[in-house]
Amino acid sequence: MIEVRCLSKRFGSVDAVHDLTFEVPPGQVTGFLGPNGAGKTTTLRTLLGLVRPTSGGAFVDGVPYQRLPRPQRVVGAVLEASSAHPGRRARDHLRILAGLCDVGDRRVDEVLDLAGLREAAGRRVGGLSLGMRQRLGLAGALLGDPRVLVLDEPANGLDPEGAAWLRGLLRDMAAEGRAILVSSHVLSEVAQIADHVVIIAAGRLRYAGPVDGLGTGVVSARTAQAQRLRDLLAKEGCEVTVTDGTGVRVRGMSAEQVGEIAAREGIPLSALSEEGTSLEAAFLELTREAGQPAGAR
Amino acid sequence: MTTLIANEWAKLRTVRGPWLLIAVQQVVIVAGVSGLAAAGTDLKTSDGVRTLMSHAGLVSAIFTLVLGITAVAGEYRHRTITDTYLATPRRGRVVGAKLAAYTGLGLVAGVLSATVGTAVTAVCLAIEGSSLDLSNGMVWRIAAGIVAFNIVYAAVGVALGALIRNLTAAVTAALVWIALIETIVGNLLGDLGRWLPNRAGLALGYMPSTAPVLPQWGAGLLLVGYAVVIVVAAGATTVRRDVT
Repeated sequence: MIEVRCLSKRFGSVDAVHDLTFEVPPGQVTGFLGPNGAGKTTTLRTLLGLVRPTSGGAFVDGVPYQRLPRPQRVVGAVLEASSAHPGRRARDHLRILAGLCDVGDRRVDEVLDLAGLREAAGRRVGGLSLGMRQRLGLAGALLGDPRVLVLDEPANGLDPEGAAWLRGLLRDMAAEGRAILVSSHVLSEVAQIADHVVIIAAGRLRYAGPVDGLGTGVVSARTAQAQRLRDLLAKEGCEVTVTDGTGVRVRGMSAEQVGEIAAREGIPLSALSEEGTSLEAAFLELTREAGQPAGAR
Repeated sequence: MTTLIANEWAKLRTVRGPWLLIAVQQVVIVAGVSGLAAAGTDLKTSDGVRTLMSHAGLVSAIFTLVLGITAVAGEYRHRTITDTYLATPRRGRVVGAKLAAYTGLGLVAGVLSATVGTAVTAVCLAIEGSSLDLSNGMVWRIAAGIVAFNIVYAAVGVALGALIRNLTAAVTAALVWIALIETIVGNLLGDLGRWLPNRAGLALGYMPSTAPVLPQWGAGLLLVGYAVVIVVAAGATTVRRDVT
């Protein structure tokens, strides 16, 4: 179980992650989504003790990663597309990692099989394809048979077959009761396997919840008093944006409710409609207003 | 800690780079020492013999310094540092284990370099119809100095690499310091120049010098002091810094 609590990280003047809170429950795949530069990698690296948070923190089973006595036995992580020395043979790379989490050569062979790297075990990492190196990274993360798996953009460099293999593996791992956190900047990569998604943009949380909850409609209205309507709806707790002066886009309220409020306040509407959005559209919608609080535009 | 040190040895054993570097180190010692003889160093004098043999110290120490730099900076270069710190989040222990493993490697490189340097000197003397007198205390002072020079420079290298982290920058900084900056600063400082680190290294390796130097034992102590300071600085920054 992973908990990120009020996590903030500044790099100089850059607010990389701001007041981020979410949980990764066991037995599920949690997708961690956001555009490039949203702060996903910073969050994951903070969670794994590689980056110090400016405030707040991240916890694995209630303690910071650095305090885990045998971290590889609890958390398996793949953060780099390639994190093995190019001159080292694949099996040697795994043996070295195995030496630090007290598992034997038998386990090395097991993860080599699991990752489909048996034939490549004797080759130097520099000669492996990017996809094979990704598999090697995953094999290394699985050495300690961890309860938690953290993967940063694992699908980069995988061919369609490899991506399908990865999805199957993650699903199986989740079914075994492990907590799995997978980051990606492409929703469709994760939507197929994730039960839960956490979406961030510009270091701020935009959405945390079930994948199904994402596709909820956006209400779009048109009125000459767009600014006034926006302020009213924002006060009701909706996420509102004004587009090209007279358009208002609302999330978190039905068209009916928007119409009622407009009528009550005497705001004439020239158009009112509810758009059922696809997951991808919802994702884009959520991450577009990056950095601006709801209703600021 | 023993597991960590053994792990660092395993990392060294499973790549070719360090061993290639040590092989090249020996080739350069052979070329450098015999080159001095070919250039007409007077081998009939004790000073000439000292010049020849101690040359192996400077040459080998520079290679060993670079080897030490690759310990941490090399891991940044290949992005293996992420896995290393994930497996051992207490980074001070990682740097400690690397110091132990690489000073061990420095010992190996030092003994090898001293042996090769002595052998080449002996061959050069034999060609001149003379021979190297192994009962001469000077020979053993130089040999011991070469080994110590290598061990301390391995530690300095590890610390420099941990401090600078960028492999190219760290190697360049170290070489520019030795080849250029220290000479210039040394000239400006005059008598105080004997307190400079590489000057101390040369004195530790018992090289003859026209510039002022400390006695061999004092130079050794000073160099160890420099190493301790850099190691402490490297340890303190390594623990704090973000690995992005």
